Amino acid sequence: MNEEKYIEEQVGRRNPFTVPEGYFDNFADQMMASLPERQSRAQHVWLRPMRYAAAVVCVLAMGAMAWFALSSSPDVHQPLQVEAVQVSGDAAFDEATDYAMIDNYDIYACLSEE
Amino acid sequence: MTDEREIYAQLKDPKQQRAAFGLIVRQYSEQLYWQIRRIVLTHEDANDVMQNTFLKAWNRLDSFQGESKILTWLSRIAINESLDFLRRNNHPAVSTDDDPSISHTLLADPYFDGSEVEAMLQEAIATLPDVQRSVFLMRYYDEMKYSEISQILNTSEGALKASYHIAVKKIADFFKSRD
Repeated sequence: MNEEKYIEEQVGRRNPFTVPEGYFDNFADQMMASLPERQSRAQHVWLRPMRYAAAVVCVLAMGAMAWFALSSSPDVHQPLQVEAVQVSGDAAFDEATDYAMIDNYDIYACLSEE
Repeated sequence: MTDEREIYAQLKDPKQQRAAFGLIVRQYSEQLYWQIRRIVLTHEDANDVMQNTFLKAWNRLDSFQGESKILTWLSRIAINESLDFLRRNNHPAVSTDDDPSISHTLLADPYFDGSEVEAMLQEAIATLPDVQRSVFLMRYYDEMKYSEISQILNTSEGALKASYHIAVKKIADFFKSRD
């Protein structure tokens, strides 16, 4: 390349920079003396599942608290709906009680009808 | 010189990694220093950037998987650290090509023993964009192969050849305009 030769003829390729005497001899020792201890990656890897577990527990706890708070607080703005829910809840409870009160005789009677 | 594979194995062993890293610092600090120095220009800055380079390499030891040579990996960190340093400090090395202060500053620097024309070359190099400057320095002074530079700069050989040609033309024009 002509232009590369032109630069070389003009300037050369010599390194014009210098360093203080003994710099490279001392650098490694100084560098290693200032190097901090490494935190092992194994420790981080081991801690990672615990962090995830802690995050899941927090989310579940917050969700549970929110659910209990919403389900225990009466909704004063919609009293009729609450009553309706209560009625339907009572009916279901009565039905369940009826089934619970079936005794052996009732079961035999039911089976013989079929 | 200790075998690369042996050093790599030691770097992965928590009990041996510090000693192995010490070997790396001793073995490669001079080559890395000159790569850094040609970008940041002053010894004080080069010393700071080289310390940061080794510190970053030490902290990122787990990310080094031995796919490239150790020197290639370190050079990549060193070049990035040097260019980041210039950006962070708004250094004269990234000033406009009309700024004559770089050659004047270098000529007054006790750790620069170049001539006026050598200082002017550094000034011309400092006007180049990052990739052009990096490829020019590695090719012109260190005579590195494009394949090696490609691994360090993570750029294709074709793009590097183009960047080098443009850089050479710009620097030649710089000198011709001052003739």
